[in-house]
Amino acid sequence: MQCAESLRVQAYFDREVDAVSAAEIERHVEHCSACRELLQDLEKVRSVLRSGMSYAAAPPALRAQIVQALDQDTRDQLSDAATGNETAKIATPRNLRSTRQARVFRGSGFWAGAFSGIGGAAVAAAIAVFLVLPSLSPLSNEIVSAHVRSLMPAHLIDVVSTDKHTVKPWFAGHADVSPAVADYEAQGYRLIGGRADYIDHQRSAVVVYQHGAHVINVFTWAASGARSPRDTTRSGYHLAFWQQGDIQYCAVSDTGWDELMGLVRLLREQS
Amino acid sequence: MPHLDAAYRFARWLCRPGEADDVVQDAILRAYRGFDALRGSDAKAWLLTIVRNCHLTAATQQQRRAFVPLPEENDAADGHAMIANDANPESETIISDQKRVLDRLVASLPEEHRTVLMLREIEEMDYAQIAAVTNVPIGTVMSRLARSRAALKAKWLQEVEGEPRAVR
Repeated sequence: MQCAESLRVQAYFDREVDAVSAAEIERHVEHCSACRELLQDLEKVRSVLRSGMSYAAAPPALRAQIVQALDQDTRDQLSDAATGNETAKIATPRNLRSTRQARVFRGSGFWAGAFSGIGGAAVAAAIAVFLVLPSLSPLSNEIVSAHVRSLMPAHLIDVVSTDKHTVKPWFAGHADVSPAVADYEAQGYRLIGGRADYIDHQRSAVVVYQHGAHVINVFTWAASGARSPRDTTRSGYHLAFWQQGDIQYCAVSDTGWDELMGLVRLLREQS
Repeated sequence: MPHLDAAYRFARWLCRPGEADDVVQDAILRAYRGFDALRGSDAKAWLLTIVRNCHLTAATQQQRRAFVPLPEENDAADGHAMIANDANPESETIISDQKRVLDRLVASLPEEHRTVLMLREIEEMDYAQIAAVTNVPIGTVMSRLARSRAALKAKWLQEVEGEPRAVR
């Protein structure tokens, strides 16, 4: 029988949790035999894989072939630069450096060179493209980023509690809104804590629920008067938006829509 | 060339046997051309992401050219993907039976489970890096890891340690 904590135990095994969570999980494992067994299995699979898998190295012939292809590539770029064609117009600074880059690439200094040798403009341009393109709906992306960040070690919860009377007052000093907080353990949504985050230029209150092995973050912030954004899915995460009074809510998770909407319904009924 | 071996291993886990070399070469060339776009300090994850993109591109092109169906998840069940290309009988005997069984078991996992497991256990990448390389949310990385570990353990117990029961 699999314990609901199994993914957290796995994360503990993979050293993906912070010290506080690690201590919690260690306490849990003490009295959960399923998780104790899981830890042994994880260790077993790791030792079998690490001692038994063949660590294939790239064959020398492939290595030589790639070096040759890189040389050819460099020559092509240089002649492109010389004839002043399109490539040269786009990337003149790079072409001027490309001979050096080709040499550096094959030496151990290549990746170090990646940080010291790049023109600032090129980096800025690359970063700009990376940041601007996905920002068609900035708010949804902001929330997904905050959700993902919260799943990383030490970011999920600022106040750990399954008691709404602990979580709700905590927000008073840490966020601009006071959201609905309740524990729906009976319905499968366990309140595990709260967190302050920064969304839509405000200090947002985030209530954290656990449903099975999934974390659901409910972000809340003062509604700006505009209508609630439409429900959407970003990078595999579902986002459900609604407003209640002057508070904007957004529930995010990688659970299915049905599970997510189950919590949304409970929260909407509550206030 | 740093990370070439990691790129090569990753390509072998992703691709059919004859395709890994081309994918790696393509990826290294693209990495070199797009080298200005390297963000942050994680060159290995960055290179493996390019390997995966090259693999996807190659698979799409192949499909378009020949109308050959893409490999199904379980197509690798015959284990060819993980077995060394050089069919040298001498090296065959040197590899222990257990290693060959392990290679075959790993190859029999669905591709998306196999790659996540290998990136974690062999390349020792963390969840965020694996999520970046495989382009799925961290939660998906976690559930795929859990499933592939459980599947591999069950197969291993069955084949090697002669314990046919799934639960101890």
